[in-house]
Amino acid sequence: MTAPTDTTGVPARPRRRSSRGVVLGVVLLVAIALPFFRGLPAYNYVLQLGIVLFMWIAMTSSWNIVGGFAGYISLGHNVFYGIGGYLSGLLLVYAGWSPFATAVLAGLFCLALGVGFGLVTFRAHGPAFIISTIALLLMVTIFFDNWEFVGGSNGISMPLPPFPVEWIKVPFYYAMLVSAVGSVYLAYRIAHSKFGLGLRALAQDETKAEVAGIDTRRFKIAAFALSAFFVGVVGAVWAYSLSYLRPTIFFIIGVAANMVLMAIIGGRGTVAGPVVGAIVLIAVNELSVVLFGASELNIVVTGVILLGVLLFFPLGIVGTLREHGKLPAILDWD
Amino acid sequence: MLLDIQNVEAGYGSAPPVLRGLSLQVEDNRSYCVIGPNGAGKSTLLKTIVGILRPRRGTIRFQGESIEGLRPDEILQKGICFVPQDRSLFPEMTVQENLRMGGFLIRDRRLLRERLDRVYELFPILRDRTNQVAGTLSGGQQQMLALARTLMIEPKLLCVDEPSLGLAPGIVDQVFETLTEFRKQGMTVLLVEQNAVRGLSWADWGFVLDLGALRFEGPADGILENPQIRELYLGRLAARGEE
Amino acid sequence: MNELQVLILGLLLGGVYALMASGLTLLFGVMRVVNLAHAAFIVVGAYGAYFAFELLGLDPFVALGLIMPAFFLLGMGLYRLLFPRIEGSPRFGEMTVLMTFGLALIIEGLLAFYFTGIFRSVDPPYATQAFILGPVFVPRAQLYASLTSVVLLMGLWAFLRMTRTGYAIRATMQNRVAAQVVGVNVRRISTVSFGIGMALAGAAGTLVSFIFTFFPARHWQWIAILLALIVLGGMGSLKGAVVGAVVLAVASSFVSDRIGPTWAPMTFFAALFVTLMVRPRGLFGKEIDR
Repeated sequence: MTAPTDTTGVPARPRRRSSRGVVLGVVLLVAIALPFFRGLPAYNYVLQLGIVLFMWIAMTSSWNIVGGFAGYISLGHNVFYGIGGYLSGLLLVYAGWSPFATAVLAGLFCLALGVGFGLVTFRAHGPAFIISTIALLLMVTIFFDNWEFVGGSNGISMPLPPFPVEWIKVPFYYAMLVSAVGSVYLAYRIAHSKFGLGLRALAQDETKAEVAGIDTRRFKIAAFALSAFFVGVVGAVWAYSLSYLRPTIFFIIGVAANMVLMAIIGGRGTVAGPVVGAIVLIAVNELSVVLFGASELNIVVTGVILLGVLLFFPLGIVGTLREHGKLPAILDWD
Repeated sequence: MLLDIQNVEAGYGSAPPVLRGLSLQVEDNRSYCVIGPNGAGKSTLLKTIVGILRPRRGTIRFQGESIEGLRPDEILQKGICFVPQDRSLFPEMTVQENLRMGGFLIRDRRLLRERLDRVYELFPILRDRTNQVAGTLSGGQQQMLALARTLMIEPKLLCVDEPSLGLAPGIVDQVFETLTEFRKQGMTVLLVEQNAVRGLSWADWGFVLDLGALRFEGPADGILENPQIRELYLGRLAARGEE
Repeated sequence: MNELQVLILGLLLGGVYALMASGLTLLFGVMRVVNLAHAAFIVVGAYGAYFAFELLGLDPFVALGLIMPAFFLLGMGLYRLLFPRIEGSPRFGEMTVLMTFGLALIIEGLLAFYFTGIFRSVDPPYATQAFILGPVFVPRAQLYASLTSVVLLMGLWAFLRMTRTGYAIRATMQNRVAAQVVGVNVRRISTVSFGIGMALAGAAGTLVSFIFTFFPARHWQWIAILLALIVLGGMGSLKGAVVGAVVLAVASSFVSDRIGPTWAPMTFFAALFVTLMVRPRGLFGKEIDR
């Protein structure tokens, strides 16, 4: 009983699937074509919004692999975001390598770190695990705040990207788009694999999963490592787009809060949930900035939404719709 | 009639119900044994009676008063006491503290003292260990303490879930002797027992549960001799009981 | 500094950390709630003491008498508002972490919105004075805060050991079902415990207001420190919280003195990881539920 929700009519599936493919293909083509329409009103704003949206889709989808599928909540996942950013940034500053090339390296480095961290902390369960992720975040923060080589808490500047100003957002846009599609595809592949099945089993009942012959420790560590990869990648890209590295940009807990919140709003443990959650929360944030300005009330709004969703729709948008059998076929990616 | 259960449906969380429209009656001053295969709903029945589980449907009346949906402490106040399968002691408290917790609902200090003295009279072994921490008692001693604790509030109905579980045969005899003593004190005992032969030979009346409903009831010795029931429900159980 | 001096400062700090952590470990013990907003409430308490001092001229030790009851009521209200809805949830532990995480964000945002991110601290006359005892000095503020913590913790201990409600709370901590079986109304006990936990947070906030600087986002570092020391002591164990607090505060004082103050918090996190690796249930704790 790992996928109790999967009771939709089986014979109808192939057709729905193909029409879903068409719709998603069109959406993707529009996203790819968007930067070519320079005449769009607020062109730069639209591109920037795309960059931010794709980044969050990549981060939330990745977080969901461990936080949703495996059921282990990480409140310190932005360490990979920051470490990815710093690694690529430093390679640019000290070796002149472009972050667009080294982003993958950053991702792989984070993957390896994820294995190391997982080896230590997956001795803990439930609340103790969550606590260890917060502690990891704070440790890394202290480390970067005090590491003079990378500028300590003041940070370090990076050279600007060598592109003409009017096109400057385009490479970042595509890099983030690739990361978003890649991370969602990764989540999709995991969800449809035996590995994903095992993760869901251990999320439901770890003891039973163990009895069923699943090496839960290896599964959890693998999930944690995989969920670190794209977070590191987008961290590298984002740092380059800011051309500035500073601990407070990457290592504040608000970044982790957003990943958790987006996944929960959209529907933890579903493939489409993080995408839906990222879109909804970014829309809310934009609205909140319009209404309240860029003030501290944004974090209040974040908290209120988190509480509200947990109390009233713990399954999130995708999960709740599915429970009532009203999930549109184009969002049924599980 | 002491307890009247009608069409009760109950279960855990959002899972399907374990009790599916169960009805049964308990008369005053008798002893009952509930038997049935694993998953029949025996423990669930007791938990529902004492209010740890809330019935989803159906009514439970105790001495004519409706008690379904009341909190466990309110039901205890009415005179129904429960000894769960794991004995549910407070492992870091002493024997005396555990007994005092058994009288948690009694606010009159003198009455509490009297009851405590009476329990010690009936269970001298507990008096010897009054300052020992409950978690360090042997299994048999823990079961005695759990049973003795119920005496603190002198319930009218005592629900006991598998008191013989994990105990050596000699200790099991003691447990059943204690239950007989409780009967003499005027308590009605509703016992759930995996060891069906043992339970039925102790009780006056037997209930056979299966798939969350009452399948059969009758005088306990009759159930033991009924070939049909023996075959359907007792075969495996009896064999296990005689191990 | 000489060893004795560092040790004394560490012990004084440990007393305060023990009080800060006591409410957190009590809530976990009674209802398996990991209250990530605990330190945020400590910060709220600190702001309470700050404004009581700045606006009303009240000494923090006077404000303590107002803040504790107010926080007690606030805690009971909050429990009733948030927790009954998720009580039967199969993933209760995780839900409480996420909910209190949201709560912490709300508190932090509201504090930052109304009081800005400025670093503050309360400045009673004794805040900058110290007793000189031969080769060592004992800062008065730290000493008073630590002694008050000890008194409050002893009061808590006596309450848990000697009152009917205290017995009910301990019974619920040891075995929730057994508590129900003997007639403890566990929901009422949970509500009262939440109130007590919050009153302890308020008291801790009042005391730290004049020994630390605080600002809205300060609570993240504090909660991580507190969680580290209750994991070391064993989650849900009051004794463990006190021992963990004292041991780690002394250790961090030495780290601060020998390596540098910015590295002091690292002591706590390192201890957390070592505990999880070597003995996940901590010094005095039971196995944490899966």
